[in-house]
Amino acid sequence: MPRYSMIIDVSKCVGCFACMVACQNQNGLPLGNAFIRFEDRETGRYPKASYSIAPFQCQHCAEAPCVEACPTTASDKDQFGLTQVDPKKCIGCRRCVAACPYNVRIYVAQQGVASACNMCLSLVAENEEPACVSTCLTRARYFGDLDHPQGEFATMLQFAKPIRPEFETKPTLRYIMPKGRVNNG
Amino acid sequence: MLRKQFSRRTFLKAAAVTAVSSDLFSFGTWSKQAEAAEVTVIPSICGACSAWCGMWIHVKNGRIWKVTGQKDHPSSRGRLCARGHAGAMWPYSKDRITHPMKRMGENWFEPISWEQAYSEIAVKLRAVIEKYGPGTVFYSENPKPTSRFYMPRFMDAIGAPTIHSHHALCSTARDVANKWTTGRMATADMAKTKYVLFLGRSYADGISPSATASLAAAHARGATIVIVDPRQNSSCILADEWVPIRPGTDLALMLAIAHVLIRENLYDVSFVSEYTIGFAEFQKAISQYTPEWAAEVTTISADTICRIARGLGANRPASCIEQGYKAPNGANYANGTQTFRMLACVNALLGNYNQDGGMKFPVGPRLGSLDPKVYPAPAKPKIPRCDGVGVKGEYPLCQTSQGIPHIMPQRALDGKAKAGFIYSFNPVRNAPDPQLMVKGYRALELLVVSDIQWSETAMIADYVLPECSFAEREDLPTGIAGGAPAVGIRCQAIDLLHVQTRSFEDIVTGLAEAMDLGHYFNFTRETLAEAMLKPLNINLDDLRRKGTITLPSPANSLQFHTDSKKVEFYSQAFADNGYAPVPVWQPPLSKADEDTFVLIHGKQGFMSHTATANLPQLLNIAKTYDLERLWINADRARHFGIKDGDLVEVESPRATRRIRVKVTERIHPEAAFLPAGYGNISPWLKTAYKFGVSPNDFTPHRVEAIAGHAMMMEVLVKVRKVVE
Repeated sequence: MPRYSMIIDVSKCVGCFACMVACQNQNGLPLGNAFIRFEDRETGRYPKASYSIAPFQCQHCAEAPCVEACPTTASDKDQFGLTQVDPKKCIGCRRCVAACPYNVRIYVAQQGVASACNMCLSLVAENEEPACVSTCLTRARYFGDLDHPQGEFATMLQFAKPIRPEFETKPTLRYIMPKGRVNNG
Repeated sequence: MLRKQFSRRTFLKAAAVTAVSSDLFSFGTWSKQAEAAEVTVIPSICGACSAWCGMWIHVKNGRIWKVTGQKDHPSSRGRLCARGHAGAMWPYSKDRITHPMKRMGENWFEPISWEQAYSEIAVKLRAVIEKYGPGTVFYSENPKPTSRFYMPRFMDAIGAPTIHSHHALCSTARDVANKWTTGRMATADMAKTKYVLFLGRSYADGISPSATASLAAAHARGATIVIVDPRQNSSCILADEWVPIRPGTDLALMLAIAHVLIRENLYDVSFVSEYTIGFAEFQKAISQYTPEWAAEVTTISADTICRIARGLGANRPASCIEQGYKAPNGANYANGTQTFRMLACVNALLGNYNQDGGMKFPVGPRLGSLDPKVYPAPAKPKIPRCDGVGVKGEYPLCQTSQGIPHIMPQRALDGKAKAGFIYSFNPVRNAPDPQLMVKGYRALELLVVSDIQWSETAMIADYVLPECSFAEREDLPTGIAGGAPAVGIRCQAIDLLHVQTRSFEDIVTGLAEAMDLGHYFNFTRETLAEAMLKPLNINLDDLRRKGTITLPSPANSLQFHTDSKKVEFYSQAFADNGYAPVPVWQPPLSKADEDTFVLIHGKQGFMSHTATANLPQLLNIAKTYDLERLWINADRARHFGIKDGDLVEVESPRATRRIRVKVTERIHPEAAFLPAGYGNISPWLKTAYKFGVSPNDFTPHRVEAIAGHAMMMEVLVKVRKVVE
């Protein structure tokens, strides 16, 4: 079974929000809800100032606090090791939202359920990339299989690491951080 | 309508193979009905900015679900920006104009029938033409694939020569300067450049997806990218160096770079001798502009200026100064025209025209047109324009294809303009001095606005003619210039949502018929589209299936389209009209002192001026991340006792507005930056109404002497903390 993952190269992200809006449409999210959020950071003094911005979304942790926190097994791991939410089982208690250390679990008030990035499995099933990957203007995102990395995904995987490993949740997503512009705190 | 179809069942089959139950893990909106629904995919052209990206509209249950980029389209190359994705939902905006409307008073319109609209407009237009002549009628637009054919033909038919695009608020300084320097617009060859310098232009903020991708790719393969901008824009993430510059002094930097290239013999002597005129005069003029002099003017050190000049020289001809569009050489400063003249001259010194990695001339396809024997076209009017373009003593060198739209309100007050048509263009909000815009346009005897939403300009029109949105219509084919030219088309993706809205060709044809000029429009759009495609041997239905068709690259010879057929360091036309014939230093009008800032502005990657601010998905980004704030330099902020997030009052002689501050190290101390996409004041743009502040509130109305652009960053403001 493939172990789907995504690499996000923060050194290439310009914070254009294309991934976030493409994701909202792909997943039919109501206004105000997004699976992707951004953190930015400015360092240094004028004129040597520097800036980076990083997208965050479900890290699909192997040891997912959201899954542990879920009282109804609505949040669970699928056969690819990805974290998914079954809206029919979700009672909207929001314990997963509170449990996620990456703050990427959202509560969709319109439906009364929790949700998060599902890795666009419906697109993956059609041999396409997740919506955020296929629209990324600077190609800062790579989609692939951690067990059988191919092409650019394999090349970039050598430089990529989980972000904020101190959370000890074994994230599936990998990040490449810009040199001297580290955004991990 | 031709549609690429696939069934949702295909997915279910594929999903079964990988044993994912879409039922189990799908999101709430993928109801049983949606899962079973067929998705149709229709080629279109994005309507969210002027990059006109080719895209596929995915329609589910008759409603737009999402959009994806067309891989073959030169602007999108398979990817779309946030505006493109969010713009897909524009047709469903609650603030669409749904009926022809007649203005009855302040914020008061009555719906009327199309017949009434046409007949009343025709009566008033005839009266203006009879009383004052057709020279007092103008048309201003943000050109669209269909409008740019239909409405100029209507203007020709009534004998009115004054037609404007929006470019005087955008790129007219560049385009006019270019006409009199190289004669052809060249663009940076990002695919092969080794060293590229950007002046104010940011591919990651003013986005065309393929350009943004080209910057990232150039950076990844090790090209040197240097960005000169008073503000550290988003592209700096993909650059080697950010060079902050005092606002409006890019001309001095260009002069000093030319000085170093010549002094150190780094320029292309053979190109200069074979392909340019006036080098001796140019060399003489440039000798005074030392890097030390420019350091004083620009605040960039002489060492940095020399290093950049040497970097450009060492890498020529695969080095260039990117052409920009708004930026310091577009429409922002008093010296914009000469700044672009110098930019083109430095590129000439690098001998980079038509060279790999330098400045390439994009070539567009040659589209056909209607057979004039069957469909006689009206004659081009020969009378003078009422904006002064092409008129000796006014703006003789400005391009008639762009004109000076923002001068029209003043011309109306002066009695020189009497009736106007405005399409898909919002000068009341997007030109400086909104009070003058309103006062001037209201002085007209007739103002007709056509748009899809209640723009500030629509709000002051006598008649508002509602167009259907981009997804509800088919447009004329459009040629796309590039290394490999292409042709694209926007097809109708969804049924008409508001039955009283019309496509623009129907709007114009109806107007023409009411003016008894219907014989000039005795063809269908389809007939015209086929005539346009005929020389390219492209079948209309084939184009409708593919969306974009790429054509073979033609031979692209090194030719300059100036009077001399060479790059003109010395412009005789400039000399004849009393302008400096070789570029010399000309200071901007605004220089900050210890109490003031030059108010600069710019795009954000998810917003197209104020036009997209009313899209809820996009405005939500600005609200969530506080992106409407005014940037000021951290040291200056400390001096004024201002902290990040403080509410401040921004004041110019024209306006005082309140906004929160972003205190940052990423901006020149003499500049304050406002994003250009906010400050909507039309109460019927309910999402965007009164969110943020527009820089245009602060800026006086001005018309630059040569190109006529609006000098949109020539304004000083004071900033003081508001005690909350």
